[in-house]
Amino acid sequence: MVTTTSSRTPLSSPMETPADTPASRTFKVSSVPSEDDRADTLIEIKDFDFYYGTKQALFDINLKLDDKRVTAFIGPSGCGKSTLLRCLNRMNDLIDGTRITRGGVKVRGVDIYGRDVDSIELRKRVGMVFQKSNPFPKSIYENIVYGLRIQGVKSKARLDEVVEKSLRGAALWDEVKDRLHESGLSLSGGQQQRLCIARTIAVEPEVILMDEPCSALDPIATAKVEELIHELKKQFTIIIVTHSMQQAARCSDKTAFFYMGKLIEYADTRTIFMNPANAQTEAYVSGRFG
Amino acid sequence: MPSDVQPVSPDAVPAKPFAVRKARTRFFGLTFDECIRVFFGGNAFVAVIVLALITFFLFREGSAFFGQNRESLRVYRQAGLEYIDIIRQQEADHTALTRYLFAIRMKVVATLREERGAVIQADLEAAKNAVQQLAGAEGGATSTTLVSARARLAEAQKADAALGASINGELAVFDTFAERYSDTVLPVRGLVSDLGEIATGIKSRYIENEDYKVARSQFIQAGKQGEADAIQLREIDFKTEVAAITGILPAYQQINGEFTAALQETVRELPVLPVASLQPRLDRFKVLTQDYVAMFPGIEARLKAWDPLTPVTWSKSFSSFIFGREWLTASFWQDWYGVVPLFVGSLVISLIALIIAVPLGVCAAIYINQVAGPREQKLVKPAIEFISAIPSVVLGFFGIAVLGQTLRALSQFESLSWIPGFPYSERLNALTAGVLLALIAVPTIFTLAEDAINNVPRAFKEASFALGASRLQTIVRIVVPAALSGIVSAVLLGLGRVMGETMVVLLCAGNRIAIPDFTAGLAVAVQPVHTMTGIIAQEMGEVARGGIHYRALFVVGLVLFFIALLLNYLAQKIVRKYRISVG
Ligand SMILES: Nc1ncnc2c1ncn2[C@@H]1O[C@H](COP(=O)(O)OP(=O)(O)OP(=O)(O)O)[C@@H](O)[C@H]1O
Ligand SMILES: [Mg+2]
Repeated sequence: MVTTTSSRTPLSSPMETPADTPASRTFKVSSVPSEDDRADTLIEIKDFDFYYGTKQALFDINLKLDDKRVTAFIGPSGCGKSTLLRCLNRMNDLIDGTRITRGGVKVRGVDIYGRDVDSIELRKRVGMVFQKSNPFPKSIYENIVYGLRIQGVKSKARLDEVVEKSLRGAALWDEVKDRLHESGLSLSGGQQQRLCIARTIAVEPEVILMDEPCSALDPIATAKVEELIHELKKQFTIIIVTHSMQQAARCSDKTAFFYMGKLIEYADTRTIFMNPANAQTEAYVSGRFG
Repeated sequence: MPSDVQPVSPDAVPAKPFAVRKARTRFFGLTFDECIRVFFGGNAFVAVIVLALITFFLFREGSAFFGQNRESLRVYRQAGLEYIDIIRQQEADHTALTRYLFAIRMKVVATLREERGAVIQADLEAAKNAVQQLAGAEGGATSTTLVSARARLAEAQKADAALGASINGELAVFDTFAERYSDTVLPVRGLVSDLGEIATGIKSRYIENEDYKVARSQFIQAGKQGEADAIQLREIDFKTEVAAITGILPAYQQINGEFTAALQETVRELPVLPVASLQPRLDRFKVLTQDYVAMFPGIEARLKAWDPLTPVTWSKSFSSFIFGREWLTASFWQDWYGVVPLFVGSLVISLIALIIAVPLGVCAAIYINQVAGPREQKLVKPAIEFISAIPSVVLGFFGIAVLGQTLRALSQFESLSWIPGFPYSERLNALTAGVLLALIAVPTIFTLAEDAINNVPRAFKEASFALGASRLQTIVRIVVPAALSGIVSAVLLGLGRVMGETMVVLLCAGNRIAIPDFTAGLAVAVQPVHTMTGIIAQEMGEVARGGIHYRALFVVGLVLFFIALLLNYLAQKIVRKYRISVG
């Protein structure tokens, strides 16, 4: 197999002429982050091994994710993207038999698998949006305030304020402001997904994990969510799993490519798509396998 | 290229005719495929057909009841029984008032004993215990100690008796008052019993004559004209016969006037109770008596207006069943088929069962589905489901032998006397039956509720966790509401199961046919009751086929049938609504 050069390509590294790479013909990389060098590391994953029962799903992952940036996880199906994502807010705790045998994850320098870390508190800080939109069978309003209600917020004024702010933040306010008390399930698929995003930002997390948030949406709804991601980036750190190379290229600042549970390459999105260091990465992004 | 299955030489075999003929084998004129269709379709429809047959059968057997009941009510009226019952009710009300007096007396005695007799009581208990211990120890105690203990006991008993006597002495005035009060009704009682004899006489002659008529027509049908003619029919002319009863109205009015005067005279001066705090009860008694007397003119007016020939309406026949508060059979006076006591009995037992079974079943379902590990699930689920495999007669036996006994023993504990209805003495009652029925309902509720909870999409739970909810918050705010309609329908089906259960209630409910006394509050739970299922099982074997009693039992069966139908319908409707809202 190909050797894994988990290359954190220096941002200043000279690029080869982009026009020559096959990827550059396929993708138009729009984001040209200029202030990247000022980004801090928010999440640090170190020597991370993860098991479902006896089956190892992640092998020795080392990754530093930047604050207030969008990071994309790409890779063929079953390579462990969702697994790693769900490790970042300990959603895997809910599955019986999952184990971490080595390494750990630090958010702002705190080991989230440490003994005195409360997974419930963690999830308030690290929110998640799922592949299939899953609003609760409650009204739109109740969907948004759910996270606050469970934290014991009772004030009607505060809840109303958060509902409006979150829905505006998720670019859904204008569409639903007259029907806040209708069921969340009465919305269209794309609206439901944005409702889920609104519900997540209502608790004001620092990080939003998104697992293929657009895979069930049509191109227009997808475009809206992508636009939204651009907006959200100002406030939140976003980590997005996607199967769409175009989406990764359009939305993310950095991209990590995984293959068979291993991190193959992690770099600035531009580099990954135009000038990948690894042959497998190049094969994947140019659509030759996966 | 020709393939090898095709004929090689064109002239060897003539080309097969293209027309595809239908299969030739036929059974009863059906092809094989159609037979299969009929077989499977038939099986599917058996359920529907059976249901239709049952409904039809119940209706056929039951519907004749209302005609027969109407006839029975007609005789009740025309023979004058109804007339007498008006006066009887007056007498019964008086008896109730007398009972009220008696209750006051009991209360007085209890209070006085508590006030003055506490020391004596303690002495008595201690002496009793001492004697018992010494007698039990036998050789260990010298005879002198035993003798002295016995002497102490005798003394204590004497003191106790003296206390009793002194209390009775203080109540002497009250007792004469009570006696005078209860005696005031005697003339009315005498009148009622005289009239009752006349009325039952008319009724029994009428019934005898009806029986002869039946016998006659049977003889005629069998062609035995001679035997038929030998039977002499004596038609009853109700109008003239009943005149003997209604004729007493002036006598009644006179008796009633004296009764009124006697009552008012008696309560004019109330005795003073030795316990001042209970005096208001006696004042209340006076008010009750005055209310009672105020009803007399109304009673007289009703008697005057009463006409034996007023026809009995169908709705009366119907309402005397549906709203009838009495189920009384094989009575010398009049049989009543009122479903209310049975229905209420069933309801009380079912409520007790649900109050116990719903939290148990639903919480167990939540726990097993949401919290328990796989090992616990493997242990608990089959265990709960096994309960439903226990034959209910075995449960009933357990109820009589163990549960009834234990509950009553528990109720005797001083420290538990704060529970309403404790202590009680009837071993078999609604509580015993209800607790056992809860056991029967738990598997139904548990299994269906667990299903409903299991059907809550995983995505809801994950979303809740991802928003920082704890496990408990997720269960309470997301899982249970999402499964609620499923849980409700589980409870409804559990109720249906409980309502229809027969053996346990027959064995353990105490089988007293009366509307339980709801004035007792929650203590209503420890009263014996009878149920709709129980009465059918108990009486069906003893009644004459086709008789009014037989048909009445069928109508009770119909009521049960409709309750079951309704509960199932509701449960299905609720579940369907749930599917729409989530799907
Ligand atoms: N709950 C689980 N129990 C056991 N194995 C699991 C579980 N979830 C995932 N896996 C295994 O872990 C590996 C990684 O799965 P994961 O879902 O992370 O892949 P993915 O990259 O998200 O794939 P996709 O793009 O199809 O979503 C797979 O081999 C999968 O079979
Ligand atoms: Mg995935």
